[in-house]
Amino acid sequence: MSASIQSAKIGDSVIRKEDHRLVTGAGCFSDDVNLPGQAYSVMLRSPHAHAKVLGIHTKNALKCPGVISILTGQDLITDKIKAIPHRPFSPHPADIMLTNSDGSEMFMAPHYPLVVDKVRHVGEAVAMVIAESLAAAKDGAEAIEVDYEILPSVTDTVSAAKKNAPRVFDTAPSNVCLDAETGDREKTEQAFAKAAKIVSFTTWIPRITGVPLEPRAAVGEYTDNGRHYTLHAGTSGAWRTQMDIAIMLGVHEDHVRVITKDVGGHFGTRGMLYGEFLLVVWAARRVGRPVKWTCDRQEAFVSDYQARDLAVEAELALDEKGHFLAIRGSNISNAGGHTTNFSPLRKGVEIMSTIYRMPAAFFRARGVVSNTAPTRPYRSSGRPEVIYVMERLIDLAALACGIDRVTLRRINLLQNHEMPYTNPFGMVFSDGDYHQSMEKALRMADWDGFEQRRQEAKTRGQCRGIGIANYVDTASGVPRERAEMTLRADGTVEVIIGTVSTGQGHETSFAQLVTDWLGVPFDQVKILTGDTQFVKFGGGTHSGRGLRLASIVIHSACQTIIKKGKRIAALLLKCEPSVIEFKEGVFYQKGELGQESQGGPVSLTQVAEASMGLTDLPEELQGPLRAIGDETVTVAEFPYGCQVVEVEIDPQLGSLKIINYTAVDDVGRAVNPAIIHGQVHGGIAQGVGQALMEQAHYDPVSGQLLSGSFMDYAMPRASDFPFFNAQYIEIPSKTHPLGMRPAGEGGTAPALGVMINAICHALQDYGVKHVEMPATSERIWQAIQQAQATKTS
Amino acid sequence: MPNVSLTINGKKISQPIEARTLLVQLLRDQLSLTGTHVGCDTSQCGCCTVHLNGKGVKSCAVLALSCQDSVITTIEGLAEGETLHPMQQAFREGHALQCGFCTPGMIMAGIDMVKRKGYELDEKTVREELEGNLCRCTGYHTIVKAIQAGARAMKNL
Ligand code: FES
Ligand code: FES
Repeated sequence: MSASIQSAKIGDSVIRKEDHRLVTGAGCFSDDVNLPGQAYSVMLRSPHAHAKVLGIHTKNALKCPGVISILTGQDLITDKIKAIPHRPFSPHPADIMLTNSDGSEMFMAPHYPLVVDKVRHVGEAVAMVIAESLAAAKDGAEAIEVDYEILPSVTDTVSAAKKNAPRVFDTAPSNVCLDAETGDREKTEQAFAKAAKIVSFTTWIPRITGVPLEPRAAVGEYTDNGRHYTLHAGTSGAWRTQMDIAIMLGVHEDHVRVITKDVGGHFGTRGMLYGEFLLVVWAARRVGRPVKWTCDRQEAFVSDYQARDLAVEAELALDEKGHFLAIRGSNISNAGGHTTNFSPLRKGVEIMSTIYRMPAAFFRARGVVSNTAPTRPYRSSGRPEVIYVMERLIDLAALACGIDRVTLRRINLLQNHEMPYTNPFGMVFSDGDYHQSMEKALRMADWDGFEQRRQEAKTRGQCRGIGIANYVDTASGVPRERAEMTLRADGTVEVIIGTVSTGQGHETSFAQLVTDWLGVPFDQVKILTGDTQFVKFGGGTHSGRGLRLASIVIHSACQTIIKKGKRIAALLLKCEPSVIEFKEGVFYQKGELGQESQGGPVSLTQVAEASMGLTDLPEELQGPLRAIGDETVTVAEFPYGCQVVEVEIDPQLGSLKIINYTAVDDVGRAVNPAIIHGQVHGGIAQGVGQALMEQAHYDPVSGQLLSGSFMDYAMPRASDFPFFNAQYIEIPSKTHPLGMRPAGEGGTAPALGVMINAICHALQDYGVKHVEMPATSERIWQAIQQAQATKTS
Repeated sequence: MPNVSLTINGKKISQPIEARTLLVQLLRDQLSLTGTHVGCDTSQCGCCTVHLNGKGVKSCAVLALSCQDSVITTIEGLAEGETLHPMQQAFREGHALQCGFCTPGMIMAGIDMVKRKGYELDEKTVREELEGNLCRCTGYHTIVKAIQAGARAMKNL
């Protein structure tokens, strides 16, 4: 089936435009870029978690054959390179603000691509070696001698927050950079005072890392002529990278070009500037030739921005009928070795009560630094963590109150008529039919038939469990997006847009929008992105903003094209523009579609030709028809849904098998169902990975990352999953002009909670109350042993 | 520098190489066959899978010199002109890729699986056989289905 004969409108599972090149090996990922005369670089990284750098001795290294140059933090300072411009929160009016409750400023410290004073985590780059070949650069790095004064380190989140913890920044009074309060303390205390039941839950959502399968790589170029820097690298949006690099170099943006082609996964991990991207362009200027750097996988484990790592203490108050009265507690988020990003802390705590009716809430939210790799948002940032906490609290409350878990959810889940709902932290959920998604998931998973399946499993000595979790995802992020559309004389439509696809298939889904709205054949729509030569703005791919915002700006550009087209068509048809209508790529006079009267109808291509050929057009209609859609969208979207998971555990081994995984997501309006399902499946796998196996495990004493390769870091594999039972519903969003809700994060958001709920349910008969993540076979087995030991003692 | 002679995607090649060169380095860095990817340094991810004398191997774990006189097929050598190999076609039609980074390795591993296990592959077999191929994007759902579909389509080759 070729794409041209397929229907390719909104709602069709169109075969992706990008896939022909990707299945034939013709994609262009970062490491596939090679420039004539390029030199190769490697980073010498710190073997210590925390140490003062007293001296870097490069004499011997510079003598190694092939070594061209060695750069250190001191060179950055000499060249007046600025620190990485981290933005700890992405600005969006729909999110709440977190500020220090004592009124002081949040602590921020500069983060340089190469260490300038002390190393703050294992793997931090200390020196950059540039050589004729990769092997020579590696030899050079081995010959560098660094004098370290090793300092005591702290990696654990709760420990890092303590007053007497080793201090990551000497200039800060403690490792707590942000200490905020949110909600209503008094109202919450009152609610707790009259509660019939209080359940509490203390947990840690482990540190993981995103592991996009393509390791980072970059090639930097510099031309003296024009003092121009070019970076070839996989980013989530070339424009933001261009801006950041220009800031660091202290040059105007016009002197920096960033080119991003195919990107092998992102998930949040690629969402901020990486120091190495600056280093390759700076080094290119220094050595006078292009410089390439490719990250090894082991290097990626220690130097990619990591994720999650949240310590939570939470309490839920209920009345005697099971109504939620209030929630309170404390969240501590671990930002790692630099003050890079505190967004996940906010994105979580602001929806601590998720999609349940919660009259009062109060939370303390702290962001700490520690001797670990810096963290940043990872798929569904902050939300999977708190949804897990809420869904665990509900299951624990159900047990404590003797109320059925589904009933308890039904009682407290927000109803349609309560929308829009302002949650106790001040977030406004616009709309959503939460009961519909939950009931659908329950039916799809045959919740009611579970008991029978459990009995059957029991006859085989297996423990079956079923779990449920509802989710809401707050999609906000950078609010502005821009599309530039050009209609060429041959009928081709080009759309320049700033968000880069990192696997989401924008070339396809964005083109479907144009095909639908302008009636242009799918093959004739070209989505252009990833090169700042022509991309003038783009917020980047994150927070479910790709299609959500692209659809708005593309729609607005299409409307402008149609409006301009009507004026040209009117000239061609010798009538007033007001009597021209547009449908399926054709302009016609009202009531005359299909009739050959007065020379009409006129196709979009004819209009395009006219815009190029007719000389008597008003100036603004001459030349190829152009339109710009540039919008700042200040409302957030709240996609939601429900997951139900059934597992089977072998109590002798602690081994677990996922029997059935059901997911329901409200996507508002589906553009490409196949892409949506793919997003959900992939999201589930990442959530399940975290729940069952993944952990960036730092040794608490040495601060070493013990899970630093695919030999140690457990990645979800094909054999860990069944086929997923995923369906979506389409209730048009009331706040998105086209009704769309993002679908990229819903797979992950409830996955942690639903998995642990299912596991705990399976082990209920053993008296197991909870299993911490990652719920490995060993942990499950230990939980059974411990519960049994407590029972008998 | 020693020399290696071999056939890659039907083309005879003779190339001087450093003795330590890995097959994947020969392919990517010297022959610009960048469709074969490198996703790890411990032979776990499978992104670098190619066919060596008809058998699936991880080219990051093979010394190029050891391939003297062998026949190698990479992802670039599967399609016949514009006609995709049935396994490529199955991946494309089944939306079995997102970022596409694991894809060349998955397709090469899928074909190898068919050669060893036949045209009718059950779900369990495919999942187990994918032990050495990681994908971070898809949750494997569509990959497993595409390999099953590709396997059936290969019957008619
Ligand atoms: S690169 Fe060969 S297995 Fe990962
Ligand atoms: S499609 Fe991205 S890793 Fe498989």
